[in-house]
Amino acid sequence: MRTHLLSKVTNVKSNNMSDKINHPQLCQWLNDVAMTRDKKAFTGLFEFFAPKIQRIARGKFPNEAQACEVVQETMSNVWRKAHLFNKDKGAATTWVYTVMRNVTFDLLRKIKGNKEDNLSDDIWPLAESLVSNNETFDDHLENKELLSVIDKLPEAQQQVVKGFYFMEMSQEELADHLNLPLGTIKSRLRLALAKLKVQLGENHD
Amino acid sequence: MIKHHPRYELIQSFVHGDLPASLSAAISIHAEMCSTCQKQITLLTDQVAELSFEESQFKTSDDDYISNIDFEKMIEGITQSNDIDVKKAVEIKTIYFKSKPYNLPITLNNIGLGKTANIGRLAKSRLQLNENEIHTNLLHMEPGGSVPEHTHKGFELTLLLEGSFHDDRGIYVKGDFIMLDGNHTHRPVSDSGCLCYTVANDALHFTQGINKLLNPIGSFIY
Repeated sequence: MRTHLLSKVTNVKSNNMSDKINHPQLCQWLNDVAMTRDKKAFTGLFEFFAPKIQRIARGKFPNEAQACEVVQETMSNVWRKAHLFNKDKGAATTWVYTVMRNVTFDLLRKIKGNKEDNLSDDIWPLAESLVSNNETFDDHLENKELLSVIDKLPEAQQQVVKGFYFMEMSQEELADHLNLPLGTIKSRLRLALAKLKVQLGENHD
Repeated sequence: MIKHHPRYELIQSFVHGDLPASLSAAISIHAEMCSTCQKQITLLTDQVAELSFEESQFKTSDDDYISNIDFEKMIEGITQSNDIDVKKAVEIKTIYFKSKPYNLPITLNNIGLGKTANIGRLAKSRLQLNENEIHTNLLHMEPGGSVPEHTHKGFELTLLLEGSFHDDRGIYVKGDFIMLDGNHTHRPVSDSGCLCYTVANDALHFTQGINKLLNPIGSFIY
C-alpha cells in the first residue's frame, strides 16, 4: 500500500512537466468568446475545464445531478461573462476557478436550506478592471479587424458597443450617459452584436 | 494601523469557498481594507486555481471515471443563448445607528438586515444569513459603550468597520479582525463609539458578578 502511494506521488511529479497548462491558449479562447461569440473557442474552453469541474464538484456534492449543475452553471457563466475577463488582472484559470467556486458556494448554500441569495459575487467579485478612457482604448483595440468592422456599424450602435466593451460602462450607465431608455441600449447592443457576428463570420470563412 | 488579521488557515478555507457566508463576508470586508491580506488571497487563489485545473490532478486516481454528462448537448445549449451578463453599477448603501450614518460594506449589499434593537448604549441589527447556530450582527456602540466582561463558548469574531474600542489586551481600530474562542475573557469598551460586524456561534457567557444576572445581554449580542 505504502509503495503504491509513493509511486503515485512520483507519477504526479513526472506528469507535471508535460501537463503544464497552456495559459496563452486559454486566454485566447476567452478573448474569442468575448469578442466574437466564437463557438469553437468555447468548445476548446469547455473541453479543457468541464471534465475537471465535474470531478471537483463530485467531491463537494453528494449526487451526480448537482455536480452536473455546477458544470452547467459555471460554463454558462463563462459564456455570458467572458467579456469581463481581463488577462492583465490574472490568469484564465484563476478567473474560471472564481466562477466555479462562486457557483459552488451559492449552490451549497441553497441545498443546505439556507437561502437562494447568491451572495458569492459580493464576497468574491470577479476581477474586473476599473477603466479610465484612453489608455484602455489602445489596449483593447489591438484587434484592428474587429475595430474596422465596428466602424461600419451605424453610429448609434457604435456608441453603445464602444461604451460597453471598451469603456466597460454598464448598460445603465450608458442609458444615463446617452440619455436614452435602457431598453433602447439593450436592443442596440443586441443588434450590433448580431451584425458583428455575421460580419466577422463572413470574413473568417 | 490594522494589527489583527485572519489566520492563514482561515484565508485558505476562504479561497476554497469552504467557510460559511458570515465568515467569508468578514474576510472579504477585511481584505478590502487590508492590502496585505488582499495580496495573500490573490496569490493563493492563483495557486489553488492552477492546481485545480492541472491534468495531473486527475490522471492518477480517477482513470476509471466516466462522465455521464452529454457534453456536446451542453455546449449546444449554452452557446444558443446570445445573452451577456452586464456589470451592475455598485451602489453604496447607508445605514443609521442613533441617526449616525455609516456606509455599509458593499459585500453586505444583498443581505437582509433585521430591525435594530437597543440596550443602553448598544444597538444591533441581525443579518439574515440563516446559518443556524451561527449568528451575524452589526453591533453599534455609542461613545462610552461597553460589553460586560464575557467569555465565549464557541467563537466570536469582531470586525471593526468604523471607530475603535479597547479591552485589556489593547486598542483595536478600523479593519481589525479579532477572533476569540472559549479561552478568552474580555470587556470591550469604546470611548469614541464604533460599528462592528460580529459573528458568534454561541451566546456570550458572562463571567462577572451581577452581570451573570444580565443573561439577556448575552443573547442580545449573540
